[in-house]
Amino acid sequence: MMDKQKLRRADFVTSIILVLFGIWILHESFQMPMRDSFGGVQNVWYVSPALFPLIIGSLTILLGAALLIHSIISGGAKYFLQILRKKPQEPSEATMRFIVICMAILFFVYLHIPRIDFFLSVSLFLIFLISIFYLDDKALFQKLALFYFLGNMILLVLFAAGADRILGRVWRFCTDCAALIFWLTYIIYAGKRISGDVRGKRMFRTALLVSLIVPVILCPVFRYLLLVPLPTEGIVVELMNWIRYSLG
Amino acid sequence: MFILDQITAFFQQFLVLVSNPLNILAVFGAVILGIIFGATPGLTATLGVALLTTLTYGMATNTAMVILLAVYVGAVYGGSYTSILVNIPGTAAAAATALDGYPLACQGKAGKALGLTTTASAIGTFIGMLFVVTLLPVISALALQFTSFEFFLLALYGIVISGTLTSRDLVYKGWIAGALGLFLSVIGRDRLQFYPRFTFGYSELDGGLDIVPVLIGAFGIPQIIQVLKDKVCIKKTEKLQKILPEFREIVRHFSDIVRSALIGVGIGAVPGIGEDIAGWVSYGAAKNASKHPEKFGTGEVKAVISTETANNACIGGAMIPLLSLGIPGSPPAAMLLGALLLHGVQPGPMLMSDHPKFVLEVAAILLLSSFAMWVVGMLLAKQVVKVLRIPPAIFMPFIAVLCVLGSYALGLRIFNLYLMVPVGIIAYFLVEMGYPIAPLVIAVILGPMADENLRRALMVSKGSLLPVFTRPVALALFLAIVLTVLSQTRPFKKVVTEIRKKLFSRKQVA
Repeated sequence: MMDKQKLRRADFVTSIILVLFGIWILHESFQMPMRDSFGGVQNVWYVSPALFPLIIGSLTILLGAALLIHSIISGGAKYFLQILRKKPQEPSEATMRFIVICMAILFFVYLHIPRIDFFLSVSLFLIFLISIFYLDDKALFQKLALFYFLGNMILLVLFAAGADRILGRVWRFCTDCAALIFWLTYIIYAGKRISGDVRGKRMFRTALLVSLIVPVILCPVFRYLLLVPLPTEGIVVELMNWIRYSLG
Repeated sequence: MFILDQITAFFQQFLVLVSNPLNILAVFGAVILGIIFGATPGLTATLGVALLTTLTYGMATNTAMVILLAVYVGAVYGGSYTSILVNIPGTAAAAATALDGYPLACQGKAGKALGLTTTASAIGTFIGMLFVVTLLPVISALALQFTSFEFFLLALYGIVISGTLTSRDLVYKGWIAGALGLFLSVIGRDRLQFYPRFTFGYSELDGGLDIVPVLIGAFGIPQIIQVLKDKVCIKKTEKLQKILPEFREIVRHFSDIVRSALIGVGIGAVPGIGEDIAGWVSYGAAKNASKHPEKFGTGEVKAVISTETANNACIGGAMIPLLSLGIPGSPPAAMLLGALLLHGVQPGPMLMSDHPKFVLEVAAILLLSSFAMWVVGMLLAKQVVKVLRIPPAIFMPFIAVLCVLGSYALGLRIFNLYLMVPVGIIAYFLVEMGYPIAPLVIAVILGPMADENLRRALMVSKGSLLPVFTRPVALALFLAIVLTVLSQTRPFKKVVTEIRKKLFSRKQVA
C-alpha cells in the first residue's frame, strides 16, 4: 500500500473517477426499460432491470463523493496540484518491473494463447519471466525485456497482417514454428549475454528447465487426466496427442 | 430420544463404511486430490466436485458420494495452504484466512498456522457432521423462513460486513470495492426479463461474468505483480517439527472454535450462501469478541482458527438444505446435487423415505473425511511449507500459468482470460490504493442473488418495503446492516465511547 500522502492524492483522483463512473452507470440505467414494455412484459419500476444498477450507480456516486470530501480535507487535492507542477521524472526500477510483468502477461494472454500452441506459449512466458526476474541483473533486465518486446511486436505485426492465416493454408503449424524460432532465439540471445557469468549461467539453466518441466507436467494433466482441452493445440500438443493415443 | 436413536444409527453406518477398505482408500485419495484442487488458485471445490462427478458416474452411488464429499472437504481445507503461504487464496472460502495466515507465514510461523488450520478444519467438519445427524429437521425449518427480502438483505449484509472488516485505510473503501463488485455482477442479461445490461453488444457478456476468472484475476494477478515487482521474499519457516498443534492451544481457542463452527453451520444451512461468507462472518465475530481486535490482520492465530473452522463447518450446514429440501447450501453443494440426481437419488422431503440411511451415510462420510483430512493435512503440511524455499521469481510465474489454466478450465472460454487480466490489473491498483479486494469478489458472487431477490420481493409486495420491518428475520438483518454502517461513523463511535465510559465509571463507584 502507498504512504499516506500518496494515498490521499490517489483518493482525490479515484474519487472523481468514481463519481463520473457512477453518473455513467445512472445514464446507462435510464436507457433500460422502466415503465415501458420489453419482450411482452409491461414493466413497473420495482421489477425493472434498471432498478439494481440505479442503486449501484447512486451508491458509487455517494461513496465517491464521501471519498472526495475526505481527500480534499486531508490535503489530497493540494498534493495532486503539487505533483502536476513537478517535472516528469524517469520511471523507477519498480515501475519498470511492473511494466515488464504487465507486458509479459498481456502478450501471453492476448497474443500467444489464442494463436500459438499452449505448450510453447507457456514455455515462452516462463522462460522470459523467470530468467528476467531470477537473474535480477539491471543491465540484462533492460536488454532481455527489449528483445522480448521486439520479438512479440514482430509476431503481432505478422498476425495483424494475416500472415498466420495465409501460411496456415500451406502448413497449419507455421505460427507455432514462428513461436519456436522466437523461443530459440531468446534462449540463444540470453545465453550469449550471460556467457561470462557462472552463477548467471546456472540460474538461466534452472529457468530453462522450469520452463520446460512445467508445461510437460501441466499439459498432459489437464488434457488427459482432467479432460480439459487446451486453448490452442498446435505442434507440441498434437505430438503429445499422437504419442498418448498411439500408446492406447 | 430421537437424537440418541440418530446417533446410534449413525455409528452403525460409520462402522459399515470403515469396514470396507476400498472406502478408506477412496476417502484418502479423494481428500489428497481435493487438497490439491483447493490449494491451486483457480481450481475450486466446485470445479473439483464437477470434474469428479463425470469420473465417478460409472461407480456405485455410495462410492461416488464417498469420493465427491471427500474432495469437497479436502478442497475447502486446501484453500488455506496458498492463503497462508503465498497470500493467494486457493478458493474464495480461504480469502479471510489469508488476512492473518500470510502475516503468520511472514513471521516464520507457517508450520504452526498450517497445523492449527488443519485441526480447526477437522473440528469444523466434525461439528458440521454432528448437526447433519441431529438437527437436520430443525435447521431446515428455520431455513424455510427465508424469503426474497431476507435473501436480499443477507447478500447485502455479506458485502457490507466484508467491506467493513477488510478495509485497512478508510472504511468506505471497502464499501466502494463492494459497489464495484456489484456493478460487475450486473453485467449480462438480467435473470428476470433477460434484458442485456452493460454488455456493449458483446455476446460473450450476455451470460454475465464467470466468478472464477474474476476471483483469480482479483486475488492472483495483484499478488503475482506485487511479489515480482517489489522483490517480496517470504521468510523461510522455522520450527517445522511444531506442525502438530499443542493441545493447550486448541483448548485455549475452544470458544472460538465452537462459535465459528456454529456460525459455519448456520450460514451453510441458508441456501445459496457458501463457505466464503461463513469465513468472513466468523472472522468478524472473532474480531468483535477479541480483547485485542487491533491485532487482527497482523498474524492473529484466533482469526485463522475462526475462519477455517467456519468454512469447513459450513460443509455440514450446506448438506442440511441440500438433503432435506433439495436446495444446495453452497456452490459445491449445487454440483453435489447434480451428482446425486445423476445417480438416481432425489434429495428433498422424500429422501428419508426413499433412502432412509442416506443422510446418516453422508454424515459418516463427513466424519471419515474430516479424519482423513487431518491425517493427510498433518503429513502434507511439512512438505507444503517447503514451497517457501522456491525463489518467488520461479514460483510466481508458475502460479501465473496456473491462474491462466484455472480461469480457462471451468468454462473452456478464452474470453475468461481476456476478462481476468484487466480485472487483475485494476485490482492491483485498487490494492495499492488501500482498497480491499475481498468485498469486490464477494459482491460479484452475491450480486445476482441480491438483484434477483430484491425485485422478486418487491414484485410480491407490489413495491412496498414494509415487509422489511414486519418480518423478524428481515428486520434483524436490516438492523445489522444499519448498525454495521453506523458503527463506522464518528458520532456513533463517540456515543458508544461515552456509554462505555459511563458504565465503567459506575462500576468503579460501585
